[in-house]
Amino acid sequence: MIEFDVRTTSDNIGVVVPRGRLNMVAARELRERLTGLVEAGTTRIVVDLAETTFLDSSALGALVAGLKTARQAGGDLRIARPTESVLTVFKLTNLDKVLRPRDDVESAFHG
Amino acid sequence: MADTGVERDFFEVAVEEAVIDHVQDRLDAFLDRDPTVADTDRTRFEMALVEIVGNIVEHAFAADADEGGRRLSVDLRLAPDRIEATLADNGVPHELDLGSVTMPDTDAVSGRGLALAVAAVDDLSYERVDGRNHWGLLCRRAGG
Repeated sequence: MIEFDVRTTSDNIGVVVPRGRLNMVAARELRERLTGLVEAGTTRIVVDLAETTFLDSSALGALVAGLKTARQAGGDLRIARPTESVLTVFKLTNLDKVLRPRDDVESAFHG
Repeated sequence: MADTGVERDFFEVAVEEAVIDHVQDRLDAFLDRDPTVADTDRTRFEMALVEIVGNIVEHAFAADADEGGRRLSVDLRLAPDRIEATLADNGVPHELDLGSVTMPDTDAVSGRGLALAVAAVDDLSYERVDGRNHWGLLCRRAGG
């Protein structure tokens, strides 16, 4: 199962923390959460993957869709702290080039 | 079990989205039987298995309205040199050539599943036999 923590920092950066497995069922919710943030005016988003134990192609699709939505609204989406196994999925799909993993949430928009 | 050193788990489930978590739970418990399974092998096998199960959930029953009749059987096997799975479902046939599956561009929001499965394991096969779809996954274990 999966849980999402969503918060917005004082400088209006949205932080989404998926805890658990990001598979097909969870990917739909992730996409809704990302869209919800952008629609609420938070267009800079960090997805903190430190507690994401698994991530599949549908979750990658949700992240790419979130990236597009954020950029269209003038913002951006970044990922932080993926585990080694989750990073493998980004590398196999070349998405590590587009969604370059950041070392921590705080510096994701300042590094 | 006839084969020495071969662990096995076989189960059949109704096809619905929740089945993905169920299969992952079963796989985790199954691979825990052998503490020597390398993390990298566990990761790539789980990755491929979830993509294929996801593909079955998403596509195999597109033309089938009767949810009660949607069945998936999963046969997991673990040997000192390999991890294997055979999946069989009674869904609609696929028109696909696994040899021509390619990874989509980085801006695509879908279409990575089979390419990821092909990249993750050492062999992935699909065939239609007796009105059922059969998927085979093989991961040769590191150092095996």
